[in-house]
Amino acid sequence: MRAVALLARVNRAIAVILGLALLVTAGLILLEIVLREATAGMLGGTDEISGYVMAGVASCGFAYALLERAHVRIDILQRRLPSLGRAALDLLSMASLAVVAGLVSVHGWSVLAKTIARSSRSNTALEVPLWIPQSIWLAGWVWFTLCALFMLVAAAILVARGRLAEAESAVGLLSEAEDVA
Amino acid sequence: QEIEPVTLAVVGSWSSLPLHKNYEKPFWTEALPEASADAITVELTTFDQMGVAGGDVYRLLGDGVFDVGTTVADYIVGDAPELEGLDVPLLATSVADAHKMVEAAWPMVADVVEDRFNAKLLTIAPYPPQVVFCKGEVKSLADLKGKKVRGSGRMTTKFLDALGAEGVNIAFGEVPGALERGVVDCAITGSGSGYSAGWWESADHLMTLPLGGWDPVISAMNLDKWNELPAATQELIASKAKSELETPAWDAAAAALEGDIACLTGSGECPLGEPASMTLVEPSAEDVATAEDVLKTVVLPDWAERAGPDAVARWNETVGKAVGVTIGE
Amino acid sequence: MIGIMTGSLFALLALSLPVGVVLFVLGIGIDVFGSAFPLIRGLGQVVWSSMNSSLLIAIPFFVLLGEILVQAGVAERTYRSLDAWLSWLPGGLIHANIGTATMFSATSGSSVATAATVATVAMPQADRLGYDPRLFAGSIAAGGTLGIMIPPSINLIVYGFLTETSIPRLFLAGLVPGILLALGFIALTAVVCRLRPELGGPSRDATWSERIGGLTALVPIAILFAVVVGSIYAGWATPTESAALGVAMAFVIAAFQSGIRWSWVADALRGTVKVTAMIVFVIAAASFLNYCLASAGLGRQLQSMLTGLDLGPLETLLVIVVMYIVLGFFIETLSLMVATIPIVVPIVTALDYDKVWFGILLVLLIEMALITPPVGLNLYVVQGARKSGRLSEVMIGAFPYVLVMLAMAGLLIAIPGIALWLPG
Ligand code: NA
Ligand code: NA
Repeated sequence: MRAVALLARVNRAIAVILGLALLVTAGLILLEIVLREATAGMLGGTDEISGYVMAGVASCGFAYALLERAHVRIDILQRRLPSLGRAALDLLSMASLAVVAGLVSVHGWSVLAKTIARSSRSNTALEVPLWIPQSIWLAGWVWFTLCALFMLVAAAILVARGRLAEAESAVGLLSEAEDVA
Repeated sequence: QEIEPVTLAVVGSWSSLPLHKNYEKPFWTEALPEASADAITVELTTFDQMGVAGGDVYRLLGDGVFDVGTTVADYIVGDAPELEGLDVPLLATSVADAHKMVEAAWPMVADVVEDRFNAKLLTIAPYPPQVVFCKGEVKSLADLKGKKVRGSGRMTTKFLDALGAEGVNIAFGEVPGALERGVVDCAITGSGSGYSAGWWESADHLMTLPLGGWDPVISAMNLDKWNELPAATQELIASKAKSELETPAWDAAAAALEGDIACLTGSGECPLGEPASMTLVEPSAEDVATAEDVLKTVVLPDWAERAGPDAVARWNETVGKAVGVTIGE
Repeated sequence: MIGIMTGSLFALLALSLPVGVVLFVLGIGIDVFGSAFPLIRGLGQVVWSSMNSSLLIAIPFFVLLGEILVQAGVAERTYRSLDAWLSWLPGGLIHANIGTATMFSATSGSSVATAATVATVAMPQADRLGYDPRLFAGSIAAGGTLGIMIPPSINLIVYGFLTETSIPRLFLAGLVPGILLALGFIALTAVVCRLRPELGGPSRDATWSERIGGLTALVPIAILFAVVVGSIYAGWATPTESAALGVAMAFVIAAFQSGIRWSWVADALRGTVKVTAMIVFVIAAASFLNYCLASAGLGRQLQSMLTGLDLGPLETLLVIVVMYIVLGFFIETLSLMVATIPIVVPIVTALDYDKVWFGILLVLLIEMALITPPVGLNLYVVQGARKSGRLSEVMIGAFPYVLVMLAMAGLLIAIPGIALWLPG
């Protein structure tokens, strides 16, 4: 399926951007250490920013991990099933991810909505307007939801057409010849 | 009068600190049920035991996740900057003054809690004052200039900046090691916590100026829940919370502070264990003057911008009047 | 309620739902069936606060550090050097697996990252040299767990943060037990392979000149250890900051050894994001479950059960140890720590056990959880690096090392000084 491949490409690009964000954060921390040791004053707040980066990188990376089939699943029962049974469990698994991610997105919106309504800022000297990191974080969950829905539909179509092997390679557990780590 | 049966889910403050163990817990699990002839039953937990961040407690309370929520006012100033005015460092240097300041702020806090979090204020109780532990000699406030200080709370950090000290953000458990290795020169925390966490092993000078304020802990009930309760129940909870939780906590605060200081400096009877031998640094008149000046010229105007003119006017009339400070003069 | 919970956990896991989803669903289940309050309304807030954590950022940094070392060839050279030193023992290359894992543990704070790093360089050797895949893979999974015992350690940072214990002291306390554990793994491997030679591969003798010559390959690891751990004790960096220093140093080492190329940097970054997202999804879900459990009073039930047993200090401790072993079968380790520390540590300290010492005991039990099925992250990581075979083979291969860990737990309880001597 070309659309699945395209989505995988998009997420690979997102993953690199997220990785670069991590590198920039590492650089910021180094700068903080150097400035502190040189007693030239401090940046302050790198700790706080690290937290926002963590939330953003992780939530925006969920979809990439999904496309790479990296979200941990236990295969003890599943690998004993015939291929149609495996496909059913794969679809169930993808549907459950979509539902859970959607639920977190909905409730995540209420977090952001409160922040916007109260113009909340972090209770630190930095006074970061919290809608900024929370929007990025929420965007990650929404994107994750959309990708999970898309993969569910794509896999369901493949299963309906009887192309079980293809469906498994899109949403199944990693087979033994593939890389998870 | 008969009280109608009701069950309340109550979330208390830090489970390991005396405020929860000695006051919140006995009140919610014993005194209140007893006073209602067991009509009121309480399920008590604390935000740390729930794995909920202290800053999230009032957001969850407003949503009705539980009935009564308790947290440190400083934790929720991100959502309600007005509350910073409840705990201005150094404006109150004794327990009596701090109590007066909080009493004056009560109506303001009640409104903030209602408007921002849909909740009915029940109590404002004190943690021990947030005092300064230093390694190396410190004689006055001026000596903090150029030192690295582990602060807590936004207003304290800004105050330290204005004094020419550098605020450093490190976790509580890291402080003794950081003091020993010179990552920080001083650190601020509650007097009792500093004693029980053994900060006196690494720090040798104790400044009892409440540079970090008093960390008032506020407790409130979800407003929808409150409105559902019959008037008699409301009356019972509000009055008992005040008389059996808040008042005893304040009454004990002065003695507790005295005991904490005795424990840290070895200057008297230590009720907590073996006394340490830190050097006590008493604030001089000059220190108090410097502090007031910095507060009036830098810290409070800065807060005034965050909180807005209405909150400031209200503060001037209440807290400001109680402590003799006016912002914007 | 505990029974229903455990049953549902099994059923959902058996359906091969993602582990994070299972934890979220259990939390929602508690909200619907076990709580009078609308806990679900806190879902967004709890997930946001658990993910917005500057402590967690050490995880991607340590994973990235490992990826860079693999890409720059440092991991492989280290492995070959330790091969020359250790493969004369019965069991051959298996000792090099454990040795390499021990070395990388000293630079990485994450067991998953350590296991992934070692597995990537070691696993290809197993087939080539005709090793029994079980013990070979199991030794990597078990050796990888040392990543959180030998400093630096994310789990000890989390423990120190939650219990307000000094992290540098915890790090010092983990060093001796970590090294003893590594020696225990090596001894066990030698004994097993002496009794059943077919489980190991050929012992190989290296010349002394090979061994001495190979020592230079260990220099990068030594430098990294000095930077990551040294910076903490020198007072330059906090434990989380030291992870960022490690990443920078790994880049410097890579630049000297093989040059930095964008192609592998991009691979390393993607790998890091993937592992981080996978771990944080589970952590966020576990935080929500923890919040639901605590709100429904399960913590209180557990606490009153433990205190209600009315046992002596040692018996209570043993009950706690057994509880962790059992929970460790099913629950992801960081979540397990976050969920249980607020309940268990106050009980333990009330019994006059040392907080630093219990932190080390707890991390040992957590290490065990990483290699016990069905939920054992290290088993998955190693299986992922293999090109053939079944997950169950890794599980069987890791089992003997679980026994070493149990023995170590007994030793730690009998002689607390093993942990407390260094920081004391
Ligand atoms: Na380590
Ligand atoms: Na396990």
